[in-house]
Amino acid sequence: MARVVIPGISVSTGIAIGKAFFLNRNRLAHLPRLTVADEAVPHELDRLAQAFRQAEEELAAARDKVPAELQEHRLIIDSHLMMLKDPKLRGSARSYIADMRLNAEWALEKALGDLEKTFGALDDVYIRERMQDVRFVIVKVQSHLIGEDKDLRSIQGRVIIMAHDLTPADTVELDVNKILGFATVQGGKTSHTGIMARTLGIPAMVGVADLESHVLEGDFVVIDGLAGKIVVDPDEDELTSYNELSAQFEDYTRRIIRECQLPAETSDGYRVQVMANIELLEEVAAVLDRGGEGIGLYRTEYSYLNRTDLPSEEELAEKYSDLVSIMAPRRVIFRTLDLGADKFIQSFGSLEEPNPALGMRAIRFCLRHPDLFRSQLRAICRASAYGNASIMFPMISGLKELRRAKSLLRDTQDELRREGVPFNEEMPVGIMVELPSAVMIAEFLADECDFFSIGTNDLIQYSVGIDRTNRHVSYLYQPLHPAVLRAIKHVTDAAHQAGIEVSLCGEVASDPFCVPIIMGMQVDSISLTPQAIPGIKRIIRQARMSDCRDLLREVLSCRTVGRVNRLVKETIFKRFPEELTFFASLLDNEEHGG
Amino acid sequence: MNEARDAEAALPGEVTRRVVVTNQLGLHARPAGKLAQTAQNFKASISIVCQDQEVDAKSILEILTLAAAQGSALDLRAKGEDAAQAVESLERLFRSKFGEER
Repeated sequence: MARVVIPGISVSTGIAIGKAFFLNRNRLAHLPRLTVADEAVPHELDRLAQAFRQAEEELAAARDKVPAELQEHRLIIDSHLMMLKDPKLRGSARSYIADMRLNAEWALEKALGDLEKTFGALDDVYIRERMQDVRFVIVKVQSHLIGEDKDLRSIQGRVIIMAHDLTPADTVELDVNKILGFATVQGGKTSHTGIMARTLGIPAMVGVADLESHVLEGDFVVIDGLAGKIVVDPDEDELTSYNELSAQFEDYTRRIIRECQLPAETSDGYRVQVMANIELLEEVAAVLDRGGEGIGLYRTEYSYLNRTDLPSEEELAEKYSDLVSIMAPRRVIFRTLDLGADKFIQSFGSLEEPNPALGMRAIRFCLRHPDLFRSQLRAICRASAYGNASIMFPMISGLKELRRAKSLLRDTQDELRREGVPFNEEMPVGIMVELPSAVMIAEFLADECDFFSIGTNDLIQYSVGIDRTNRHVSYLYQPLHPAVLRAIKHVTDAAHQAGIEVSLCGEVASDPFCVPIIMGMQVDSISLTPQAIPGIKRIIRQARMSDCRDLLREVLSCRTVGRVNRLVKETIFKRFPEELTFFASLLDNEEHGG
Repeated sequence: MNEARDAEAALPGEVTRRVVVTNQLGLHARPAGKLAQTAQNFKASISIVCQDQEVDAKSILEILTLAAAQGSALDLRAKGEDAAQAVESLERLFRSKFGEER
C-alpha cells in the first residue's frame, strides 16, 4: 500500500511516475516549523548564531562598499547592523529555542512576531515603520538559516515538480524535457500552471493542500491526473497497475488524436460545433492540433494580470488581431474582461470584498470603469476587421446591463467610424448566461443579442449558492443537479425560440457524462479546454441523437442528483466503456455529490 | 521633586541621571543605534526609564519602542563597576544631540 494518497484538482490528465523535486520559490513564506528534541537544542542555537553571524558579515561587507559620499546610506546600514546585534531580538529567539524547543527558523519568526506586536501598538508612525528595517534584517538571517535556493538547472534526470505555487516566470524557466508532471498547493482549474501543463501534454495537479506535509524531496510518487490524486511511495502492485493504466491511456490518446479532425457528428447526422476555451495566444496550436473548430471562449483577463500598469489599446488590438487572423475563417468569441472574485488587476488594488463572487466583478466592474472597458472594446472591434470575431459580455444579470454594455460598444464603433478605422459592422454580440436571473429572463435577453453562451461553472455556483473554491462546500458543485439541467434546458429553448445560437462553455462541456445530455438539448456548439476536444468529439461521433434525446427526457424527470447520476452512469457506461475507464475521477466526485 | 524621588528610589550602587531628548526627530533609529552601541561598550547593566516604561539601553529595538519625542525626559539607570562612566557617556550623547544637529 502507498504511504499516503493525497487528493487534488487535476488540470492536465494522464499519469506521471517519478521522483519528487521541490521548488521552494516562496520558501520564506513557508519556513519549516518544527519542534526539536532536547538534544538538538544546542545545535539549533548554533545554527541561529551562525546565521546571525553570516547576516552580519553580509551587511558589513555591503557597508564597506558604500562610497564615502553616500554617508547617509552607510548610517542606515549601521542601524541595520545594530538591529542584528540587538540583544532583545536574539535573546527572545534563543529562549524560544531553549524553552519551547522550536527550530531556529520558527523561533526567529516568533521573536519577530512579538516585536511586531510591540511596535504595532505604538502611536508614532515613524517608529512603527522601523519595523520594516527589522524585518529586512531578519529576512537576511532567515535566508542564511534555510540555505541557498535550488537552481532549476540543477535538475538531474526526469522529475515531477512539486511547488507551493508556480508563477508564469517559473514555468518558462523549466526545462520541459526533464519534467514528467507538476503538482502545486495553490492554483485552480484555470491557473497558468494548468494551461502550461496541458499545452505540454504532461499530467498536472493543483490545489493539493497537503502536498508539503506529505511528500518529501526525492519521494517516489505517482501523479494520477485521471483520478485527481497523488500516490506517495506506491507498492509494487500499485506501480504495476499504474504502468498499465499509463500505457492504455497513451494508446487511447493516440487513437483519439488520430480522429480528432473529423467533424463532431452523431451517427444519425446531428452536427455540433466543438470549439476551445483559451487564455493565451500560444494555445492556438493546441486547439488546431486537437481538432478545435474555433475559439468559443477567449478569456481576456490574462493581459491585465501580473502587471502594475494597464495594457494599452494598441497592445490589445495587436494581440486580438493576431488571434483573429490566425483562426480565420474560424470563429473567435472574445469574452470581455471578467475580473473580480479571484482575479484582480494590480492597478486597481485588490478590491477587498466580503463576498467576492457576489461583488464588483466582470461586466459590473467594466461598467464602473468605462475608460478601461472602452480600450478593450475598441481593441476587439479593430481585431474584427481581420476575420470572424464575436464579442460576449460576462455576468449579465438583466436587460439594463446588456443595454448599457451595448451602448458603450456602439459609442466606440461610432468613434472608430469617425476615425476611419476599419471594423466589422456586423460583429455578433452575445452574453454569457451564468446567473439565475439571466436564466429566468432568457426570452427577453435573447431578443436583444445575437447568441448565448452558457457558463456552467458560475451558473452552478450561483444556482446552488456555493463558492466553488471553498473546500467545505465544493461537494455541492453538482453539474447534474436537476435545477442546473433545467436551467440549461430553459436557456437553450429560449435561444432557439428567438432564433439565436446557443453554446455551452463551462466544464460541463468537457465532462463525458454530461455531453450526451447537452447534446439531447440540441445546443449548437460546445466550447472546452483544447486537451479534452478529441475525447469529447469521439463520444459525440459514437453517439446517436435519438439516444441523447431519450436520456435527456429521462434525466429531466429525475428529482435528485443521486438519481440523475445513477441513470447517467448506467447509460453512459453501457455505451462508452472504454472512454470512461479514464474518467474515474468524475464518477468519484459524483459519488460524493450524490 | 521627581528627581529627588528618583534619587531616593535608586538602589545601592546604582547611578541615575535625568536627560532630555533635544534632537528634533526624537530617539529615532540612528540616535537609538548610537545609544545602544555606546551602552554595549560598558559592563554595567543600563536601563532607560520613560514615564512608567523601562527598557534595556543596549537594545536599539527596545529604545525605539519608547518612541521618545523631542522634549521627553528620560532617566538613565546604570548598575555595575563602570556605571558612572556609562551614564556619563550616554548623557554626553544626549547633550550633543547625537551629533545630528549643530
